[in-house]
Amino acid sequence: MNSPVKIWRNQGKIASLLGKKGVIISWTMVRVPPAGFSDQAPYPVVLVQLEGKRIMAQLVDPPVGGQVGKKGLIGMKVITVIRRVVQPSTEGVIPYGIKVKPLW
Amino acid sequence: MKIYIIGASTTKFGELWGISPRTLAREAVGGALTDAGIKPAAVEALFVGNMLSGMLGGQEHLGAFFADELGLGVPAFKIEGACASGGLAIHAAVAGILSGQYKTVAVLGVEKMTDHKPEDVATALMGAGSEEERLAGATFPGLYAMLARAHMAKFGTSEEQLAAVAAKNHFHATLNPNAQFHNALTVEQVMRSSKIADPLKLLDCSPISDGASAVILTAKSKGQRVKSKDVEIVASAVATDTLGLAQRESLTELKATKEAAKKAYKQAGIEPKDVDMAEVHDCFTIAEVLAMEDLGFYEKGKAAKAIASGDTTLGKSKKLVVNPSGGLKGCGHPVGATGVKQVVELVEQLRGTAGKRQVSGVNVGLAHNVGGSGATAVVHILKRA
Amino acid sequence: MVGIVSYGTYIPQYRINVSDIARAWKKEPSEVVGALGVAEKSVPGTDEDAVTIALEAGIRAIGGIRERGEIEALFVGSESHPYAVNPTSTIVGELLGIGNNYLAADLEFACKAGTAGMQAIAGLIASGHIRYGLAIGADTAQSKPHDVLEYTSAAAGAAFLLGGNKGSKGDKGVIAELFAYTSYSSDTPDFWRRDGIRYPSHAGRFTGEPAYFAHVMGAARLIMEKTKITPETVDYCVFHMPNGKFPRDVAKRLGFTPEQLAPSLTVDHIGNPYSASAMLGLAAVLDIAKPGQKIFMVSYGSGAGSDGFLWEATAALRQFQTVRQKDNKTVREQMEKKTYVDYVEYLKQTHKI
Repeated sequence: MNSPVKIWRNQGKIASLLGKKGVIISWTMVRVPPAGFSDQAPYPVVLVQLEGKRIMAQLVDPPVGGQVGKKGLIGMKVITVIRRVVQPSTEGVIPYGIKVKPLW
Repeated sequence: MKIYIIGASTTKFGELWGISPRTLAREAVGGALTDAGIKPAAVEALFVGNMLSGMLGGQEHLGAFFADELGLGVPAFKIEGACASGGLAIHAAVAGILSGQYKTVAVLGVEKMTDHKPEDVATALMGAGSEEERLAGATFPGLYAMLARAHMAKFGTSEEQLAAVAAKNHFHATLNPNAQFHNALTVEQVMRSSKIADPLKLLDCSPISDGASAVILTAKSKGQRVKSKDVEIVASAVATDTLGLAQRESLTELKATKEAAKKAYKQAGIEPKDVDMAEVHDCFTIAEVLAMEDLGFYEKGKAAKAIASGDTTLGKSKKLVVNPSGGLKGCGHPVGATGVKQVVELVEQLRGTAGKRQVSGVNVGLAHNVGGSGATAVVHILKRA
Repeated sequence: MVGIVSYGTYIPQYRINVSDIARAWKKEPSEVVGALGVAEKSVPGTDEDAVTIALEAGIRAIGGIRERGEIEALFVGSESHPYAVNPTSTIVGELLGIGNNYLAADLEFACKAGTAGMQAIAGLIASGHIRYGLAIGADTAQSKPHDVLEYTSAAAGAAFLLGGNKGSKGDKGVIAELFAYTSYSSDTPDFWRRDGIRYPSHAGRFTGEPAYFAHVMGAARLIMEKTKITPETVDYCVFHMPNGKFPRDVAKRLGFTPEQLAPSLTVDHIGNPYSASAMLGLAAVLDIAKPGQKIFMVSYGSGAGSDGFLWEATAALRQFQTVRQKDNKTVREQMEKKTYVDYVEYLKQTHKI
């Protein structure tokens, strides 16, 4: 996704998903990352039920002041934010995209 | 008009460093032609199943590429549906024959994955998923891990039960000279292997492999001589579901499998209980559990326990043996080849030539091939002629 | 009048103890903490940068504003803009959905790029040229490992929506009026970073008297001359906070009491987020100030310069504070929401390994 044109074309899609609240319905911890994600590994990838839409995104920023419950991350309330997605190349455009973090 | 597989052959699967895709194809197709007892000139079309040749090797146009390599100057097509490419190629071949345009065709499934870094292969395989999944940093183990977690949360399926799938398929693989792995695995060994995407571990995942398989299909009309080694294709069905996991209706089933199976059973005029052996798509251990339920062999939530008890293991099973070839986990998973290899295994089982891994009393065999995290499913049902 | 209509801040969740950094370099932790007056600092996530931080602060500033399209200026001041050429301000403006009718500009002036933006936008509003403008200071400050700056360079963002009192329907008006502003500049090379070079360099103790103190006190005196105010006639003071000592020292020299300075001292909790430092201090004060109270503010940017401001809280601030407290995004709440990382994780998250 390092085509500047594609990044530009997807701005509206990203902007429309920003600041939305949701609940985690399944998750995994990716320990063997694909290319461009090694600097972030290991990281949780989660399925989130937003209002009227479901998305898959990386979960960032650990929940503060509490261990993850017996149900794991399932049921955790989250909110969508914008962060860097794939590690950019030295010269290319920086891709920003939607991730989720615990809601507090 | 009935469609028969008259020739079938597979190469060994594994890390075949010294063997090129061209050599793999020549071996598989040559073997199938010999098995069929026909000359290359009898082949009227070539269908090639492959996923990664373009992305990893820079080579597209595989219909022409292999037609050229095999000396078959006939209409040639590459069919791609991620890990279902092989099954889809067979389905396309069937459609080509049913249309009346071709009578005898060759189907080649081929994949060369070990030429490239595992990280690059993992990234290329995510081409089978959605852009949202790629941007989330998901990997295929990650997607199936999320399915596993949902299944475990809803039905209480355990990690040990998943591990039992890998152990079973490795046991079958020890009996298959063409399999990638010939070591038996215990549940403990699987549980101790390193985590790839929680809860799936290294030994829950099928390997990166090279290999090729081929079948020769032909139409025979009523009255035409059918050989005892001919195997009839009585069903070939495909179904599609949403590309991304996030858009699925349910996380505890693959709707595409259910729909393809339903269509296939109807085409064949049979029910799940009539199936004697099946080759199902165990790209990850959870995938076999889901397949057992979605294909109608077990009630939702009941398959894992049954598999772990040996209900589908060769020698223990009273009814249905699953993945006698070793499945994707034990036999290997050169992505585009798997769907064709599954059918080759069915042919050998139905003919009674499967040697040490022969399932006794096989009359009906089912092959189940999935693309991506369940966006495509292909089901073939074969019967003894 | 011109003033602040709304503001928002963002502090990344991660912290590292200064003593852990000291230990990595075999320095005596208590000596380092004592010398700098900083015990811990904020650390950005691996996937955060000045753009994402500026955006978060911006979202929190304009969240309740219905007239987004009427924001006609958006300036982002930072020392860590991700691009040397390609504006942070338009990426932020696009994702904030403020339309296309706005002047976007990226500013750079060490730690005072954000406050420079506030002054420029104040001018555009006062002249009647625009109705609203958003000034943001955001940084993921860089520092060379083992350099003394490593103990204090932090990450945060602060965004101020400025406007005039003649708001359109639904605009609750100004919550802090800008009474006066001025700036004091000179060519003083105390801290710099060459184009294409990753880490900044500095001139050691030269960054003290001739740099920080000269300019902060220079701007402070200009404001006092302009407005005739004295420390006794204001309620709070805010200064740029490169460490725990300098703001306390300059406040004392100018005649302010520790109580007047205390609410602004975000450095004690999160270190120095460069362009967001003084702006974050101002936000921390506004989170607790009462209507009618006056706030004296002077930022500092190496190279060098200081922007001075005099603010007065209005009656509308109270309602704003109530809303802000309800959504848990006051400066204090964010400073308290933290997760500690060790030195290795710190190096990974700041892309040094």
